[in-house]
Amino acid sequence: MIRTENLCKRYGRQLVVNQLNLTVRPGTVFGIVGENGAGKTTTLSMLVTLTAPTSGRAFVNGFEVAQDPVAVRRSVGYMPDSFGVFDDIRCMEYLQFYADCYRVPRPVARQRARELLAWVGLEDKQDAYVNALSRGMQQRLELARCLMHDPAVLVLDEPSSGLDPRSRLEMRAILLKLKDAGKTVLLSSHILHELVEVADELGFMRSGELQAVASVDVLRNHTSAYRTLQVVGEAPEHVWRHALAADGRVVEFRLRPGGAQVQYGGTTGQQAELLQRLVTAGVAVQQFYEEAVDVEALFLRLTASHDTSVEAAP
Amino acid sequence: MWWHNPLVNKEFRQRMRTARAPMVIVFYLLCMAVLTFFLLYENVQGQFSLLLPARSEQVFLIVSLLQMVVAAYLTPAFAATAVSGERERRTLAVLLTTPMSPFGILAGKVLSSSALLALLLVVTLPLYSLVFLFGGAVPQETLAVFGFQLFTIVVIAALSVAWSTIALRSGWSTVLSYATVATMTLATGGAGYGLRYVATRFPVDEFLPRWGNWLLQLNPLWVEARLENAVTGPERSWLVFIGVYTILCAALLMVARWRLRPRGLALLNKVVGNDERMS
Repeated sequence: MIRTENLCKRYGRQLVVNQLNLTVRPGTVFGIVGENGAGKTTTLSMLVTLTAPTSGRAFVNGFEVAQDPVAVRRSVGYMPDSFGVFDDIRCMEYLQFYADCYRVPRPVARQRARELLAWVGLEDKQDAYVNALSRGMQQRLELARCLMHDPAVLVLDEPSSGLDPRSRLEMRAILLKLKDAGKTVLLSSHILHELVEVADELGFMRSGELQAVASVDVLRNHTSAYRTLQVVGEAPEHVWRHALAADGRVVEFRLRPGGAQVQYGGTTGQQAELLQRLVTAGVAVQQFYEEAVDVEALFLRLTASHDTSVEAAP
Repeated sequence: MWWHNPLVNKEFRQRMRTARAPMVIVFYLLCMAVLTFFLLYENVQGQFSLLLPARSEQVFLIVSLLQMVVAAYLTPAFAATAVSGERERRTLAVLLTTPMSPFGILAGKVLSSSALLALLLVVTLPLYSLVFLFGGAVPQETLAVFGFQLFTIVVIAALSVAWSTIALRSGWSTVLSYATVATMTLATGGAGYGLRYVATRFPVDEFLPRWGNWLLQLNPLWVEARLENAVTGPERSWLVFIGVYTILCAALLMVARWRLRPRGLALLNKVVGNDERMS
């Protein structure tokens, strides 16, 4: 549904996107994650025909972006990371205007606008002025706008940026609904947690390059294979070291006053064996618990250079 | 359908919803009405027996020229930020991802920004009918002046919209638009009459009056006065005016179209890229 071949974008001497090869399968949600300036927005801009690629090719819904931009525009609903809204125009008129841009017949557009406003939870805001809506409501309206011409592909650039926690949750619920509706969605974010919750696949971008692509299921397995355990207890340092090093499932650990942080490669059931081993070795364990999965840490581990402050288990 | 332009509908709706539009219309109509009644009163000096058709022609000339000045300087206020304003409000990017063509977007902006000015002309038509009453103008003349004013408004709107696309920032586009209007009304007039004056001092130089007339034919106020036979100059000056400004608008709108969606660069890249791939 979306495919790029050696896609490059250069602004002067700066190479913003470098040899990008990306495939998004129909009906899936693909999340691009990366730091600010990684080239995410430029990539999305090229896919929605806002920016011309310097070299390489990109296909959206079977149409090549450079060859057939109008067909691409008809196939895509695009939501930019920072967008504005028109003044003095009502929500219904706003959606109607974009439907007119796509030549959606008036009766169909009216019906669809009503359905979409209900879908994004703005059914009671049909006659409200767009510029009077809160930021979260405007984001949801923008999503409805993206869907007015019933596109096969949605390209969403940081759809949750600038939202308060409640609005983020609402936006996430809408994105999940899009996924259930079978839309092909390409979205970007620098917040990995958000993407993990909605995406099927993730691509990690850095310095204009797609460094890794992983399915979210694989990522979840990866995270569960490297759980972080917090152990609070009292024992001499050599006792800690001896007990932890003796467990082959301990990937790495860090000692600190009154306890240890352990990266553990075993299952939940196997954690009991570690606890028993510590107690047997003479550690007076007061607390033993697993931390919530830190996807951000995993992302950093996948993309960043090796953290030398972490002590590796032998 | 080629006339299907959703931008025009939206802009009409937006512009007419603000308090600014009716206020501008009412204020303008009041000013023009006061001026027309004052000039007509001066003309008859309170006694209808003193009615002088020649002076009524002057009333028509003054009112129509004043209308042209107001329209010329008011048009950039509505058009000079048409595209740059969209860019600054961050609404342009989404508009560019719709199948609307760049010319469709530019045409929509030109039409919508000249519409209010056209409305200003229409609301003053009853005042012109009063001038008729006193023998100041014939219907053909009034229609010609009205049509010429309408054309000038569209030209200035097109140039302003083009500047607002090319200049990117509203400040610059406003400056460029007003500079264009000042050139059209003041520079061409000053230079044209200057050359004509020099020609009277040095009658051997034939090119001076020719260039003077040429410049004056680019001045909307002079051309309008010529339409009303109030000044002397070449016949059909309005044709030169229409021709030159149509070409200028087309050229600037081509640049604006490229600025809006730099397809030329994309095509160039495509040719280079495809050649590389094909080889």
